[in-house]
Amino acid sequence: MPAFYLIVITLGAFYLGYRFYSKYLAERVYALDPNFRTPAHELADGVDFVPTNKHILLGHHFTAVAGAAPIVGPAIAVYWGWLPAIAWVILGTVFGAGVHDFGAIVTSARNRGQNIGTLSGKVISARASTLFLLIIFFLLTLVNAVFGVVMAILFQAHPGSVIPAVIVIPIAMCIGQWVYRMRGAVLIPSIIGLVLLYVAIPVGQMFPIRIDGLAEMVGLSVRTTWVILIFAYTWVASRLPVWLLLQPRDYINGQQLLVALVVIFAGVIVGWDQITAPAVNPVAADTKQWFPYLFITIACGAISGFHSLVASGTTSKQIDKETDARYIGYGGAMGEGSLALAAILACTAGLGSAADWQTAYASFGAASGGALGNFVTGVGHFLSNLGIQAQLGASFAVVVVVTFAGTTMDTGVRLQRYILEEIAELAGFRALVGRTTLLTTLAVLVPLALALVPGGEGAGGKGFAFGQLWTLFGTTNQLTAGLALSVVSVWVLARNRSPIAAIVPLVFLLFMTSWALVLNLLEFLREGSWMLLVMDGAIAILTAWLIVEAVTALNRQRRGSAGAT
Amino acid sequence: MTAAIDSILPAGMSPRTRDGRGHRLILVREQDAQHSGSGCCGRLGERHTMLGRAADFSHSRAWMEHVGEIYRRLRIAHPALAIDIVDPRNTLWLYPAVWRCSAGAGQGLGWRLRQFVRAGSAAGAILDGEVLHVGQLPSARAVVDEIGLRLDLRDRDAIPGEHDR
Repeated sequence: MPAFYLIVITLGAFYLGYRFYSKYLAERVYALDPNFRTPAHELADGVDFVPTNKHILLGHHFTAVAGAAPIVGPAIAVYWGWLPAIAWVILGTVFGAGVHDFGAIVTSARNRGQNIGTLSGKVISARASTLFLLIIFFLLTLVNAVFGVVMAILFQAHPGSVIPAVIVIPIAMCIGQWVYRMRGAVLIPSIIGLVLLYVAIPVGQMFPIRIDGLAEMVGLSVRTTWVILIFAYTWVASRLPVWLLLQPRDYINGQQLLVALVVIFAGVIVGWDQITAPAVNPVAADTKQWFPYLFITIACGAISGFHSLVASGTTSKQIDKETDARYIGYGGAMGEGSLALAAILACTAGLGSAADWQTAYASFGAASGGALGNFVTGVGHFLSNLGIQAQLGASFAVVVVVTFAGTTMDTGVRLQRYILEEIAELAGFRALVGRTTLLTTLAVLVPLALALVPGGEGAGGKGFAFGQLWTLFGTTNQLTAGLALSVVSVWVLARNRSPIAAIVPLVFLLFMTSWALVLNLLEFLREGSWMLLVMDGAIAILTAWLIVEAVTALNRQRRGSAGAT
Repeated sequence: MTAAIDSILPAGMSPRTRDGRGHRLILVREQDAQHSGSGCCGRLGERHTMLGRAADFSHSRAWMEHVGEIYRRLRIAHPALAIDIVDPRNTLWLYPAVWRCSAGAGQGLGWRLRQFVRAGSAAGAILDGEVLHVGQLPSARAVVDEIGLRLDLRDRDAIPGEHDR
């Protein structure tokens, strides 16, 4: 089947979802009122609360929610075939992410722009705020671990991409100096930065960076050495002021995201590539099955809990009219779904023949360890349809993924530092409070240890339990979504509306998450992967806690609503 | 005070630019939060996400508050003026908007390109497609006075025969 058909089917389904289902949500579930005074009007201060044009806000919202995860998850999940992957992306986006992101904006806007953490404490229970903090703690630990491994795998497999990926750092720093110190206009510097970055791609091909010698010298594998180097970089980067590196990198990342989406879709259309992956890949009985693992392997791209932080953090404070929430929340979810679609296309139509695909996706370990490599190869192929050498195209894709992953790790370690401090304070462990160096070191060492944990179906059998870490990451991301959907459900019920549209994805996610956690637990126990076992067990406890909190809050609200009528 | 600002938001008769459209001011400033690259796996912006407390974005916050003051004053001084506050990292909206707005100024292509190139900065003000400030903004009172003056001039310029009287 031509890959183009998949674009038409997916975007068509998104259109129908927006046209009909989001309309139903807007009218019947969230009961949007165009005359409701949003926090942007009620609290208008021109700082946090500003009535904002919905197109501006969609731009802010979409770029804030898009990252590398909607690429990695689908790139692994096509292991079960393109049909389950795309079906989950479509159904998850239309019935999950759309409901979740849209609902988080509306619920927050109806509560004076309060964020989801505060709302969970208010709407569910005071304990839910602690639960939120703990879920985020595990989520960040896993995020940092998986992205450390992602970058190491890419650098090892594509040594030609090291120079362009590294050169982003001084480019971003120069842009930072220009924008924040010299107070200059940013368009030309950011275009120059992007051009320099793309010029560095062929330079990187000419001078590939391999660290085999260094790895041999320190007595570690190449991948382990890369992982350690990347975490060392993250330790330093997360200590820098944000204006120096993280913030100016936004100017590059934003353009990269758009360029990547355009060239992938253009490449597919121009090349008229066929999907060579099977619709459903029959996998061995003793490996991970699509049911339930598909639903936690693709989190971002189908439904991601972190979107609720963006939705309730800044977006809800700026919506001009309550009815704009549909366009921004549901539209942003569809944007993320499109990124997942791009990843699926690259990994199902960009790898060559059916036999090539079978080799790349021979096992779950190969699929997870090689996922990003497959995405990169696929994008390289699509770019070759546009007349760009495939190797250069692949380097371009590596740079896109690595800049996103690097930013994610920088952010993740900073956030983890803050959360560790907060947890230490809650636990009365004052010795950690204010100790930035120690906190950063801890925030780096824990995911580093996880990233290096041996066992499981590692990256191509190289000893990295990447697939396991990824599914655990997906689990915690879905838990965050579960928490947000619980808040939305209780709020909808409190308004005497049927919360079924939010409860169905909530129950589905919690069921799949719990099931996958139990299967993982048994597997880790069988394999003796104690570190992962502890992690999985802790997340399972949080899941049980969330289920209890959600059921209690819904029951309480249901009784309250019944008593009121 | 916020309610007072809001109550005068709906514009009555709006002054017009040369091409007959209402005046539009775009205030550019960065949000005190991370904008891209991390997204579904974490986002820095502590006061918005309840994650962390350190003032990572205090420099952006200072500009946000300054722009906020300008916005509040302008809302009172020029209730009919359309004002958008936008993050310069939102390139998909900002640059096309400036290009469209500058079309109504009746200036040449070179002028429009200059405005386009100067539109994005850490803080700025763009009136009807003309970039007034790049990177720095003077005091709120000065910005409001300047915009008032420019609006007066432009409205006079837009009414046929106004200069002859």
